[in-house]
Amino acid sequence: MSNFKDAQNKAHPNKSNTLMSALIVILILNVGIQIWLLYTGLNNALEDNKDIALPAFIASAVLFLISFCWLYFLPMGYKKTGKK
Amino acid sequence: MSDQSNQDPHWKEDFPVERTEATKVSRRDFARFLCLVSGGLAVGSGYVAVKANFFPPEKVQGEHFICKADSVPTGGTRSFVLAGSDIPYILVKLETGHWRAYEQKCTHLSCAVYYKPGSSQIVCPCHEGFFDAMTGEVIAGPPPRPLPALEVVVKGEDIYVRAGGTELAKK
Repeated sequence: MSNFKDAQNKAHPNKSNTLMSALIVILILNVGIQIWLLYTGLNNALEDNKDIALPAFIASAVLFLISFCWLYFLPMGYKKTGKK
Repeated sequence: MSDQSNQDPHWKEDFPVERTEATKVSRRDFARFLCLVSGGLAVGSGYVAVKANFFPPEKVQGEHFICKADSVPTGGTRSFVLAGSDIPYILVKLETGHWRAYEQKCTHLSCAVYYKPGSSQIVCPCHEGFFDAMTGEVIAGPPPRPLPALEVVVKGEDIYVRAGGTELAKK
């Protein structure tokens, strides 16, 4: 029985390369947004605006979950089949 | 000798990874590392949220005597530390006759700031940060926040400070 991963592993390397690049770009984007959220939350907390810190944490946690689930779509790379 | 030429070199047995596979593995690891960084940043944001909401910094309690008014010349400053705290503060007597007290730590990277006489500016020499000596607001440079302030109370010839200077300085 074929599934998503089998199909992905049989795809042409050009396709999986593009997919890998896209995944990494989105992960970098997520990390960039998280850095901004941390910076904003910290600066506002130090300036006595506590209300920013909790939404910033929630947004950051959601982005982490997205990044984590994103890893499922990473191509597995070439797998040696049982050829002899 | 002919046997050796037909066989793979021994190092290939130790590193049985093909080149195409090795390239993909490194990018997969990079993506995983990015996910790890993402988790770290989320934990950092959580720490900030918990610290801000449940463990706020202690505020200055009561009034503290600093010095006599005539011991600080106009345009002069005096450094002080409150009892029970290790935060350095700076007391400034501006040319306009106003008294101001600020934390002496720059809000950028905690360098010691100083008052530049005649300019109404408090300067951080490390990265050229400038604060308005009247309000503590940032005028120029990398500091992201105003200087935390204390309220200065003049009682006759005595100078006292107490919490709440930030709101007062902004007025």
